[in-house]
Amino acid sequence: MKIQTNRRNLLLTAGLIALIAAPFLTTNNYQLYILNILGIYILLNIGLNISIGYCGQINLAVAALWGFGAYVSTLLTVDLGINFWIALPLSGLITAVLGGLIGLPSLKVRSHYLAIVTIALAGIINMVLVNEREITRGAIGIMHIPSPKIFGFEIASEFHYYYFILVMTIIGYLFARFIIDHRIGRNFIAVRDDYVAAQAMGVNTAYYQILAFAISGLYAGIAGSLYAHKINYVSPDIFGFHSMMLILTMTLIGGSGNINGSVIGAALVILNESLREFEDLQLVLYGTAVVLIVLFFPEGLVGLFDRIRQWLANRRKKIPVSEGTP
Amino acid sequence: MKFGGLTAVDGINLQLKRGSIHGLIGPNGSGKTTTFNMISGYYKPTSGQILFEGEKISGKPTFKITRLGFARTFQNLRLFHSMSVLDNILVSMEHLARLKLPELMFNPFSVRREENSFIEKGRQILELMQILKYENEPATSLPYGLQRRVELARALATEPQILLLDEPAAGLSTTEADTLMDIIFQIREQGVTIFLVEHHMRVVMNVCEQITVLDHGRKIAEGDPQTVSSDEKVIEAYLGQEKEMEKC
Repeated sequence: MKIQTNRRNLLLTAGLIALIAAPFLTTNNYQLYILNILGIYILLNIGLNISIGYCGQINLAVAALWGFGAYVSTLLTVDLGINFWIALPLSGLITAVLGGLIGLPSLKVRSHYLAIVTIALAGIINMVLVNEREITRGAIGIMHIPSPKIFGFEIASEFHYYYFILVMTIIGYLFARFIIDHRIGRNFIAVRDDYVAAQAMGVNTAYYQILAFAISGLYAGIAGSLYAHKINYVSPDIFGFHSMMLILTMTLIGGSGNINGSVIGAALVILNESLREFEDLQLVLYGTAVVLIVLFFPEGLVGLFDRIRQWLANRRKKIPVSEGTP
Repeated sequence: MKFGGLTAVDGINLQLKRGSIHGLIGPNGSGKTTTFNMISGYYKPTSGQILFEGEKISGKPTFKITRLGFARTFQNLRLFHSMSVLDNILVSMEHLARLKLPELMFNPFSVRREENSFIEKGRQILELMQILKYENEPATSLPYGLQRRVELARALATEPQILLLDEPAAGLSTTEADTLMDIIFQIREQGVTIFLVEHHMRVVMNVCEQITVLDHGRKIAEGDPQTVSSDEKVIEAYLGQEKEMEKC
């Protein structure tokens, strides 16, 4: 046990050093930009994963919630002059509330129908963003969103923003880990596995379903705020259906039901995006990969690793059936 | 209880005595499962009510009924397949938990403490069921007989006043059924009232103090095992079924 913990700590420290050193290894600003976007997508993925992967609640409104969070943070800072450091958590909270409201239909419909309902609600959010021109400036978007300032220092360049996003992503990951590993996570999985049995065991499944949606809203809101204040511009079309599909693909590829999968999935898809030069070939590879993974590895890449590990472990021990009779 | 035009259960009057072991039997289609589901809160009776200590519980959401002290097992075993045996048990302690959401999200220390106390309790129950050594195995990887025990342990973990067992002896061998009977008596020792639906006559006759017999949705007999097994109407209800089956 001791050896394993030490090895794990070693890996973690190495990983941390690699993350801190990463910007120095990049050769141009575009690569840094990709890393920053990656961080934001990781957060979005973790939120989506908690809802779909752990609680089994299909939430296809995450991209729209991301946009909503971005706009909330923008309007708070630009129109109301509120400090970024207050706007950030506030956007998270307000988007969490909206996320929870979007979760209400999940009490009545499940699975495919829930997917359709959340897509519809996402569409509504987008329409509001486009049409409420007086508040949101409509399709033109909002420019000159201020960058965050800390002790007078402006976090504006890709390089500086990287560390900011790195910290937020690590916090986001640890927070998700904490929730998943304890009572909330357990109840989520119970709802996903068998909500009838969960209710029979005294779990208020409605409460946890809404909570799952709210948490995905929280992550989307924070991600939105980070995004808006990074590129200093928001417009409704960034957060549409194609973004949602991108995020969903990341979760599927990486593995739903496992937040490590969120990291892997986001990384792979972003890598794929940066191979744009290969155009048609890229699309073919991408599409093939998605189909293969959905068909053969529904738990994603993380699931693949787990399966291999499990298979190895099972070969060593088997519970004899005779033990079933005392 | 009516399902559309079909009256599954008609005018049943049933009383559970605290601390007793009460059985519900009857030929297939007699309305046992329907009655069971009404008592456990799955169905809302179309007429009549279920009272617990004078309070009406029929029509309440299932999880609230569980929190009032009712626990049930499922005939078809609805274990949480993604979880270990221990985690399955821990889910049941949900309604015993005291921490509210803000603490759950931001206070690792109290969360740790609460979790540890639940794990303690969970292990005690697993010990009672003699399955402690499987605590980390995925629940559905166990052989059937052991899975049944996990199902039972899970219901016990809710610290119920009334335990509703849905055909607990189904699919069990003779020795397994004997263990089940021992476990049921042990549970009763702890002051839990037990209500079971069962086909396995040996178990019913040995374990139950009171037996209610249903046929075609109506109560046809009630009493202790002696009385019931020698009741003419009961014998006819079961034999009648046999005759019908012979015709096929």
